Amino acid sequence: MIDPANRDIWLHRVLFVALALLFLFLRLLPMGLPETASCAPQDGWCRAMDWLAHMPGPDLLLCIIFAWTMRRPDYLPSLLIAGVVLLEDIVLLRPPGLWTALVVIASEFIRSRVALTRELNFGVEWLLVSAMMVAMLILYRIGFGLVLLPQPPFGFALVQVIWSILCYPLVVFLSRAVLHLYKPAMGEVDAYGRRL
Amino acid sequence: MARNTTDPEEFHRPLRRVLVGLLVLALIGAFALWRIDSPRVERFRAALIDRFVPSMQWAMAPVTWAADVMDNFQSYQRLLAQNQQLREELKQMKQWKEAALQLEQKNARLLDLNQVRLDPRLTHVTGVVMADSGSPFRQSVLLNVGARDGIVDGWATMDGLGLVGRISGVGEKTSRVILLTDANSRVPVVVQPSGQRSILSGDNGDLPPLDFLEDLSEVRPGDQVFSSGDGGVFPAGLLVGSVVLGTDKRLRVALAADYQRLEFLRVLRSHALETITDQGALLAPDPAEVQGPPAPPNLRPGATSSTAGAAND
Repeated sequence: MIDPANRDIWLHRVLFVALALLFLFLRLLPMGLPETASCAPQDGWCRAMDWLAHMPGPDLLLCIIFAWTMRRPDYLPSLLIAGVVLLEDIVLLRPPGLWTALVVIASEFIRSRVALTRELNFGVEWLLVSAMMVAMLILYRIGFGLVLLPQPPFGFALVQVIWSILCYPLVVFLSRAVLHLYKPAMGEVDAYGRRL
Repeated sequence: MARNTTDPEEFHRPLRRVLVGLLVLALIGAFALWRIDSPRVERFRAALIDRFVPSMQWAMAPVTWAADVMDNFQSYQRLLAQNQQLREELKQMKQWKEAALQLEQKNARLLDLNQVRLDPRLTHVTGVVMADSGSPFRQSVLLNVGARDGIVDGWATMDGLGLVGRISGVGEKTSRVILLTDANSRVPVVVQPSGQRSILSGDNGDLPPLDFLEDLSEVRPGDQVFSSGDGGVFPAGLLVGSVVLGTDKRLRVALAADYQRLEFLRVLRSHALETITDQGALLAPDPAEVQGPPAPPNLRPGATSSTAGAAND
């Protein structure tokens, strides 16, 4: 009953959930912010590192969702994405639902263009993903603004998006090298003999 | 592109689109629900976190261990950097000490030349701190001197270095000192060398902020802060501390007094200042002392005209 292709899909789904939980765990660690290093005013490198240490890091989960949906949309069903991101929303004390809705919409956007993106090279794919991340940030803030919620400063949010954009190639490379996650080649078929 | 039209996917594609639309709608609905009825959703969130987070407890141990190791390494590195920094500072301090000694001698000479008489009424009573009733909400200490020793409410207290606070509440043998860091403490101060006046208002933190500064650009971190004597609360010219720029970009005061080790406090005997009560009156000669012949007693109503005539003479 367990055919390899089907098992592969479920393995990837489980791996996705495990990675999401791992990221959540790392975000929840009570490490706190590093204390401000005492840098000499002319030591630019030290001050830059200190500044970086106080900025938010990349949203790796989002990178994974984009990278995997771009390659194998069948690995990540929308319901799974919605569930995981909603859990993240709830645990990280964000307003529940809004970010999840944006992520689901973005992944659907990619999913419906798989046939198109399959023929794009990586540079264009990266551009597309960056544009979508920025658009999501702006929509998220517009959503906050519409319901009159207090927002974190724009610079902070933008730094996170830039980090995510910079980490995207790394995520893609790792999923390729470690998980063998390729875009399906021409004429490749799935477990039921359908074309991918 | 490569799909043929008889692909079964073609049939459940629209259905899928509707379902995803519903999912997104439900999520946005959840967000709206949170915005409308936040307490209930937050309670749900709290319950979920209660279930979810403790299960990660066991995973914390190795992470804590790793963090400790990292911390130890970093502390060695920091010690080295700090050592070098301290050496440099020490070198600078020696120069400053030399300069200070010279200035002190010069100051003494100048005082001698001017025959400055220091205020003889600034004497003090020294008390020992008995109890330090510091809490996040109140910052005060108890002294073992009280009304028996002539302590009066409102007098300033200093340790050897700077102003500590003021007496607020005197018992027979004890008195309470409200520290400058207490949230109720407001002390008029002057920032030198710019001479800006300000109010030092405690906020229960280590570095009380300066309020009501007129010109922020004149005050720089490192300036000295003295009590200004405005309002007659404190004698003027007692050292309070130096200005620092807080992490919140507010100007704050690093107090000169050593708040970590308050053992002996001097209570300064300050005497009530003479207050000026009447408004400025016209400095005119008393009409009773008009020179000239006195008005005849039977001509009372003409008295004013006669004085006017006398003035004209």
